[in-house]
Amino acid sequence: MKTFPTLAELSDTTILDVSQAAGEPAWLAEQRMAAWRFFAAAEPPFWRRTDLSKFKAEQIAAAIGASATILVWERDPAGQGVVFAPLLQALHTHEAVIRQHLGTAIDSQRHKFVALNAALWQDGVFLYVPQNTAVELPLTAAFTMPAPGDAIVARNLIILDHGASVTFVEEYRSDAGAGQAFAAPITEMFLGNDATLRFVTVQTWGEDVYHIGAQKARVGRGATIEWSAVNLGARVQHVEAETALEGDGSRVEWVAATFGGGHQNLLTAPWLRHIGAKTEAHMDFKTVVKDQSYTTFDGMIKIEHQSRATVSRLEEHALHLTPKARSDSIPGLMIDTNDVARAGHASTSGEVDEEQLFYMRSRGIPRDDAIHLIVMGFFEPVLDRIPTEALRQRIAEMIEAKI
Amino acid sequence: MNSDLVIKDLRVSIEDKEILKGVNLTVRAGSIHAIMGPNGSGKSTLAYTLMGHPGYTVTGGEAWYQGQNILELEPDERSKLGLFLAFQYPVAIPGVTVANFLRAAINAHRAEEGKDPKETAIPMAQFRKQIREQMAALSIDEGFARRYLNEGFSGGEKKRVEILQMAMLQPGMAIMDETDSGLDIDALKIVSQGVNTLYEQHPDMGVLVITHYQRLLNYIKPHYVSVLMDGRIVREGGPELALELEEKGYDFIREEVASS
Repeated sequence: MKTFPTLAELSDTTILDVSQAAGEPAWLAEQRMAAWRFFAAAEPPFWRRTDLSKFKAEQIAAAIGASATILVWERDPAGQGVVFAPLLQALHTHEAVIRQHLGTAIDSQRHKFVALNAALWQDGVFLYVPQNTAVELPLTAAFTMPAPGDAIVARNLIILDHGASVTFVEEYRSDAGAGQAFAAPITEMFLGNDATLRFVTVQTWGEDVYHIGAQKARVGRGATIEWSAVNLGARVQHVEAETALEGDGSRVEWVAATFGGGHQNLLTAPWLRHIGAKTEAHMDFKTVVKDQSYTTFDGMIKIEHQSRATVSRLEEHALHLTPKARSDSIPGLMIDTNDVARAGHASTSGEVDEEQLFYMRSRGIPRDDAIHLIVMGFFEPVLDRIPTEALRQRIAEMIEAKI
Repeated sequence: MNSDLVIKDLRVSIEDKEILKGVNLTVRAGSIHAIMGPNGSGKSTLAYTLMGHPGYTVTGGEAWYQGQNILELEPDERSKLGLFLAFQYPVAIPGVTVANFLRAAINAHRAEEGKDPKETAIPMAQFRKQIREQMAALSIDEGFARRYLNEGFSGGEKKRVEILQMAMLQPGMAIMDETDSGLDIDALKIVSQGVNTLYEQHPDMGVLVITHYQRLLNYIKPHYVSVLMDGRIVREGGPELALELEEKGYDFIREEVASS
C-alpha cells in the first residue's frame, strides 16, 4: 500500500503532487494545502478528558487511495439515480455538488485533527439520493484497519435532496492487534427539505486504535435524522458530533450506546443546535463502564435566538459495572430565546440496581445472567435501531463479550 | 423430601431493627395458607426474607423446604428449588421484554450443571405456545409479550404479569405478597382466577397468601389462616378466622394477646 510520508516528514508540495497525480481539481488541492498549513502551525488541542499523552502523531503515515473503503449495497436496481461511491472516484462524476458541500458543515480549522483530515483524506464515500427518492435497503460504508501503524483518514459526504430517504451505515472495525493505529474520519451530512436520513455510526476498532472524528448533520425544513451511534472499540475515542436543526419543523432522534472496558478512554461530544421554528429533538445516550475505563459525555444543547417553539429532550444514563470505572457527564443547555415549547433533561449514573437484580434472581436467573440482561436491556433502544440483523447480532455479541 | 415450607423461630432485622421476632409457621404442600396482619406487622418482611432479599438480615431461625434450609441459598437457587414470590411492587426492567425475560427464567430453571445451556433450553415453538396460552387465560393482550417488563404497566397489568410468570414457572410453593393491593374488582377476579386455575392444575402446590384484607380471600379460599402481629404469629385457625377479623378488626386480637 502506498502511503504519504509520516506527518513529521510531510510537506505541502507532497500533498500537491499526490493531488495532481490523482487528477484532482485545483480547488481541492488548494483546500488540502490550506488545511495542511493550518495543521502544521496549530498547537495540539488541549482536551482535558481525552488522553493523547501516549499518542505518537508524528509517526502517522496516511494511506494514499481509498484502500480501506468497502461499500456494501444493492446497486440501484430501479435506476433511481442514487450515487454511492468512494468520494475520490465521485469527484470525476459529481465534482460540482461535491465542491458545493465539502467542508461546509464542518470547518476545516475547527481543530488540528479536522484540518489533518481536510488535508489528507483519501478514504470515504459519497452518497447522493435524488429528490423524492426512497432507498429501501441500508447502504453501508465499512472501514477496516489493515495493519498496526496504519492511518485511515476517511471523509464521508452524504447529500439527500428534497424528500429523499435512505439508511446509511458507517462502520469502523478492525481485529485486535498489537501496535498503534489511527483513524480520523469526518462525516458531513446534508438533508434537504422533508428528507429522512437514518444514520448509523458504529465504532468497533481494535484495542490500540486512536479514533478522532467529527460528524455533523445540517437538517432542512421538515426533514428528520435518526442518528444512532455505537462506540465499543478503540483505545481512545474523541468524537465531536453536531446536529443543526436549521429548517423549520426539522427533527432529530439521537441515540447512542457507549461501552468502556479495560483502559479505554471514550469521549462523545454531541452538540445539538435548534435554529429553525418548531424543531424537535430527542436524545437518549447510554453509557456502560467497567474496569479502569473512562468515558465522557460532553453534550450541549443550544436553542438559538431565532428559533421558536422548540421541543428538546435529553436523556443520558450511565451504568457502572465495577467501582473503579469512571464516567463523566457534562450536559449543557444554552437558551437564547424566550420562546421554548419544552426543554427537559434527565440524567442518572449508578451501579446495577439491586432491586432489579433481586427481582430477576427471584425468578431463577443467576446474578451474572441478570446483569447481562440488564445491560442488554439498557442498550436496547440503540440496538433496536440497527438496521440489519447481521450488524445487530455482531454488536450484541461484542457487548455480551465485554460484560 | 418434604414439600411443606417449615419456618422455625425466624428472626429478621432491617438495619438493626428487629421486625420478625420468632415466626413459627408451616405451609403444607397442597394447601392455601393465608397470613393476615395489620400494617407494620412484618408481612412483607416475611415474604422478602423467604425469597432472599439482601436488605433483610436473618438473625436467627430456619426455613426448611425440599430438605434444605432455604435461608442458606441464593435467591435464584430458591427459585430453582420451587419457591416463587409474586411481588407487591413488581420491578421494571427497561429494554427486556416480557417474553425474553420469561424465556431467560425458564431456561435458568431448565439449566443443568455440566450441560450446554443450548441443549436444555426450551424449544422456541413450545415456549411461544405456552406463553400464548397462559396470556390468554389471564386476559393479557398478546402484545404484552413484546413490551418491556413492567415498564409503564398499570397496577393491574403488573399483577397479571406476576401470575403469568408464576404460571410459566409452575412453582411448588408460591408466596403472594399483597397481590390484591392496587387492584379493582375486575382485575382481582382475573388474578385470583389465575391462581385458582394453577392450583387446580397443580394440587400439590403450596400457596402462602399474604394480605391485609379479607377481600382477596373471597376469591382465593384459604384452608388455613394465621395472624401475624408485631413480628409473631399470634393466632391460627381456619377460614372462619379471616371472617372474624373482617368483622371485628385486628384490635380484638391485639387485646387478646395483650391480656394473655
